[in-house]
Amino acid sequence: MQLASRTYDVDSISAVQELYHSNGWTDGLPVVPPTQEAVEACLEWVMMPPDQLIGIEPVRGLAITAEKLAINAVMAGCLPMHFPVVVTAWMAMMQEEFLMHGATASTGGCAVLVVLNGPIRLELGAGGTFNALGNSDRATAVIGRAIRLCLINLMDVRPGVIDRSTLGHPGKFSYCVAEDEEDTTWLPLAEQRGVPKGASSVTVMAAGAPRQLMNEWTTKPEEILETFAAEMRANLRHYSIHPGNYALIIPKQLREHLQAGGWTKSDIAGFIHERARIHRREWAEVGKGAVVRDRGDSVYPAMESADQLLVIAAGGPAGGFGAVIPPWLGNKSHAVTLPIGVCVDCEPPKK
Amino acid sequence: MTFRVLDPTPGTAAPLGQLAPRLDTLQGKTVGFISNGKEGTKGFFTHLDQILREEYGVAKVVSRTKSNYSAPADAHIVAEIKGWDAVVSGLGD
Repeated sequence: MQLASRTYDVDSISAVQELYHSNGWTDGLPVVPPTQEAVEACLEWVMMPPDQLIGIEPVRGLAITAEKLAINAVMAGCLPMHFPVVVTAWMAMMQEEFLMHGATASTGGCAVLVVLNGPIRLELGAGGTFNALGNSDRATAVIGRAIRLCLINLMDVRPGVIDRSTLGHPGKFSYCVAEDEEDTTWLPLAEQRGVPKGASSVTVMAAGAPRQLMNEWTTKPEEILETFAAEMRANLRHYSIHPGNYALIIPKQLREHLQAGGWTKSDIAGFIHERARIHRREWAEVGKGAVVRDRGDSVYPAMESADQLLVIAAGGPAGGFGAVIPPWLGNKSHAVTLPIGVCVDCEPPKK
Repeated sequence: MTFRVLDPTPGTAAPLGQLAPRLDTLQGKTVGFISNGKEGTKGFFTHLDQILREEYGVAKVVSRTKSNYSAPADAHIVAEIKGWDAVVSGLGD
């Protein structure tokens, strides 16, 4: 296999680290040396030649090749079996509706949330239970990190260069979660979003940091969901009134109350869509009176429609917690779901 | 132990557009403003409009606002640029 990338001969593992750090090629953490053997193993796993074009970044016309994704994935700690997820996530991020340049350059400082569905979670050991939004397992840790290293090195999304984030958040190191499909009666997120049952898939969302909530004092679905809706209203008040994709992370303890009541993901989304909305005048209560103007009675829902809510079953078995993951900036970017390694509803090549 | 490791960057610079020829004067010219639509652009462009007309003799200022401040300018705005002598693309943060 002929790789096109420039090579460097380095004397020691510590010298590798200094080479990569000094060139600005890392996220600040040590990297795995991307050797030819390791990179080729990733490419062979996905059966792609090095120059396979994964896509063209739409704003600056940057060509994203399989070889460069593989180098960064190896650096992040990916094994070959993790690489199909990285490739598919990048295909999803390059869809026009994701608005990758805006989402990764914005002062708003979001990260790319990656949600895994389907059998690949089990093959990779991607855990959707304990510590689901933290360092839950190797697979989600390295996949999320690979997304960021690719952004840094392939698109110059470095702090102060293309990445103009005022604050950013810890999810910019790694932000990947697997849905706990085995321990829920709900449809997996990807199936809810149109991917055929049983297909492995990736969903990407330009996402703010998780807002954790707690309600251990009721078993009523409406009351549990009211807490989620209130957290979303807080986001509308304190951050942005732009509607868009929100994600709810619902761990087992709260999930079981909802499931026992017969609530599906669609039911939840319908309820949340009605409850997660504010009047513009509420901005005056949180120091933003200057922009209320004469539109105080205008109502702002968190989502344009119920199907913009991404409901994800994940989290440890105990604890009445949940999380709301808000969008970067409403509908400026849309979540994208793609199956891994298959083409669903693809059009035949145009002659 | 020696490691032979690979460059993780594209190795080539992003394709760049070419700058238009610089103007000798703004006198009698048409200048386009492309605002990203953020709050801070209003005062900035209003002030700049006044300076360009009163101090530099600009004949015409055309103001356009992007439909999405995080995305490239809309195609119809880009198409208009051909009719302008200069462009000011401003951020409002």
